[in-house]
Amino acid sequence: MTPMHFTYYSAFIVSITGLSLHQTHLISTLLCLESMMLSLYMALSMWPIQLQTSSFMLTPMLMLSFSACEAGMGLSLLVASSRTHGSDRLQNLNLLQC
Amino acid sequence: MMYFMFLFGFCFVFWMVGVSCNPSPYYGVLSLVLGAAFGCGVLVGMGGSFVSLVLFLIYLGGMLVVFAYSSALAAEPYPVGWGSLGGVVYVVGYALLIIGLVVMGSCLWCVGGFGEVTADAVGLFVVRLDFGGVSWFYYYGSVMFLVAGWGLLLTLFVVLELVRGLSRGALSSI
Repeated sequence: MTPMHFTYYSAFIVSITGLSLHQTHLISTLLCLESMMLSLYMALSMWPIQLQTSSFMLTPMLMLSFSACEAGMGLSLLVASSRTHGSDRLQNLNLLQC
Repeated sequence: MMYFMFLFGFCFVFWMVGVSCNPSPYYGVLSLVLGAAFGCGVLVGMGGSFVSLVLFLIYLGGMLVVFAYSSALAAEPYPVGWGSLGGVVYVVGYALLIIGLVVMGSCLWCVGGFGEVTADAVGLFVVRLDFGGVSWFYYYGSVMFLVAGWGLLLTLFVVLELVRGLSRGALSSI
């Protein structure tokens, strides 16, 4: 594994750890999701550059457009939960708590 | 040059750690913006200038601007800063995670060495790899291009339905 591969690999690991643990606000979770998408974009861009296959340059473009859709969905759900629960703190999303 | 690239890669990982252990969403957005800027630097160093510009314009200039002003929804009167005691524990934890990954990487997967393949094709080309690659969208990738555009249009309407409010939209209890 080259150091450049290691950068996006470790960025993905750190972001997915931050997504799953200890966040206070819902928007912090969405930010970790966005940083996962950023590391995946870098991975998908580095792959055709290193293998010199130009047609695989379509994949990061498609991934970015679908991740923009997903970010929009996440933010609209943030707005909806902020309206129903009053804030976006994750303690308030406790319907399944025993 | 490779030390320069290594520095950009290190700063990218540093700011991604900053996103994950943010004490407050304002600092998380700032860290993500700076991390994306250094990620653009990594891609430019490898020769992918087009993908780096797309990242800068669309990701930083489009999506992260929306995140930055949506973080106003998480507004607190006294936001916690980087120097608070609870936040330092998380920063140390993530730094140890990165160090653990480096140690594991050098032992198990032989991470190391410098040198990268870049995006200049061999021969008399004037178009670099990523510029020429994305232009495949208009020929072989035309159907996927239209599907992606259709998906983006549908997303607009879904977002409008979700935030409609007052029992007229998808979430009727707002």
